[in-house]
Amino acid sequence: MVSLERAQSPRFRYLTALIPMASGLVGVLIANIPVSVLGGLVPAPLFGLVPVYFWCLVRPDLMTPAVAFSIGFAEDILSGGPPGIWTLAFVLTYALLARRRDSFAGLSGLAAVLGFAAAATFACAIAYFTVAGLNLLSGLRLPPLVPVVSELMMTVLFYVPTALVVGWLHHRLIGASRSDV
Amino acid sequence: MANAWKIARRSNVQLPLILVIALAAVVVLLGKAQGTLFDRVRAHATDTMAPVLEKLRVPVAGFDRFTGSITEIFSVYEQNLKLKEENARLRQWRNVAIVLQGRVGRYQALLHAVPDTKLNAVLARVIGRANRPFLQTMILDAGRQNHALPGQAVMDARGMIGRIYLAGQRTSWVILLTDLNSRIPVNIAPSSGKGGNVQAMMTGDNSATPRLELVSRTVTLHAGDQVTSSGDGGLLPAGLPVGTVMTDGAGGWRVALLADASASQDVEILNFSKPPETPPASAQLPAEAAGLKPQVPAPPAAQVAAAQNSSQANPQTKPQADAQSKPKPVAPPPADAAGAEDVDR
Repeated sequence: MVSLERAQSPRFRYLTALIPMASGLVGVLIANIPVSVLGGLVPAPLFGLVPVYFWCLVRPDLMTPAVAFSIGFAEDILSGGPPGIWTLAFVLTYALLARRRDSFAGLSGLAAVLGFAAAATFACAIAYFTVAGLNLLSGLRLPPLVPVVSELMMTVLFYVPTALVVGWLHHRLIGASRSDV
Repeated sequence: MANAWKIARRSNVQLPLILVIALAAVVVLLGKAQGTLFDRVRAHATDTMAPVLEKLRVPVAGFDRFTGSITEIFSVYEQNLKLKEENARLRQWRNVAIVLQGRVGRYQALLHAVPDTKLNAVLARVIGRANRPFLQTMILDAGRQNHALPGQAVMDARGMIGRIYLAGQRTSWVILLTDLNSRIPVNIAPSSGKGGNVQAMMTGDNSATPRLELVSRTVTLHAGDQVTSSGDGGLLPAGLPVGTVMTDGAGGWRVALLADASASQDVEILNFSKPPETPPASAQLPAEAAGLKPQVPAPPAAQVAAAQNSSQANPQTKPQADAQSKPKPVAPPPADAAGAEDVDR
């Protein structure tokens, strides 16, 4: 297993810098494997949002807006929905987190889960209202709210296990910023 | 949780963030204007993932069956009684259907009815399903190399599931009838057998029962009326079984679908190629709508002059010419006694 000291050596520095982006893309891939469990009753969670939230707070130098854009774009391509919806949602959520970083990063325990729930709610709201706006432009009805709420609930429900994996990756391979060590 | 880690230095990301937000907005607009670009990438990604999905299909389907059976094990007895009752009722309907099928066959022979269009079908296997907030879809293991093309209807053994909206080389995506973006014209036949058929538009809203938007506001539907595809516009074949009408409890109507998209494993892709409809001449539309005789196109000047000459020579020929211009009724063929009895009924 790669230790933190070894990971922070120059040899692995560039590789570790890619871990937040790779984690987000893997999360998007897992969430969008088109396999239905439980008969498709519930949508898959937004696994890709967890790395964006996590590393935007603890290592914004690695989770840049461009990385958030890439993860959202991958979600758009693989989820099959209207193009650009999740890209915009992820980037605007990143903007919210970047402005309120101190507030979100100071949360712990249940408050941390609620903080993520607020960010996920913001992302889902952006996605919903963007689709609603596009539908209105096309003369279509507003999209139903229930599927988006289901997706939000599943995302929050799966936050803790996903954050544990992401936290483990952070501790083992990335660590705090070099200026803080 | 988060305060256990040291917070990284605040990076100055404001300028690129604004640019990235603008770029994301451009992607949204570009996706709206040029959706085919994204569709091509999606089709290619699914083609690449197809072998993995094939491998995942069997264990996941087994797990799905297992989780489904856990809840059903407590209602086996009631289900058994219900199935026996349903089976007895269906046997009665089968006998009725056989009799009616024979009668329809005789009617078709009497009327020289044009036989239904033969449809080529490709059998495909469902290798993936996705239930996303803005899209409900399934992925099939047949693509363009199997002649599966966008727009073709997808059926299971019971009825229509949806239609293909994206076709890769080896895979294709199906937009389900329940999806928000699904709109198909349907024909509603009354279950009582009395009254005429009703045209409507069936629109999905991501619920299990799509809505019915009636073309005419004056018609009345009844729960249990049969819904089939109408074939309007030539995009889908007419007569594909879709479902039955049910009330939504709020004064509206919905369709209880015959097909179960969440359980279907093998489906048929109907290869329906029909030449596009040619609209009638716009000058005749108001007359036809009012039930008047269609306007006869003006004959060429040479024919008019010849007709005038002949009418001057023999005035009695004009009524015959008018009679010839009317559409001739089709003379019924000599019917046998059984056929006449059926018609009288």
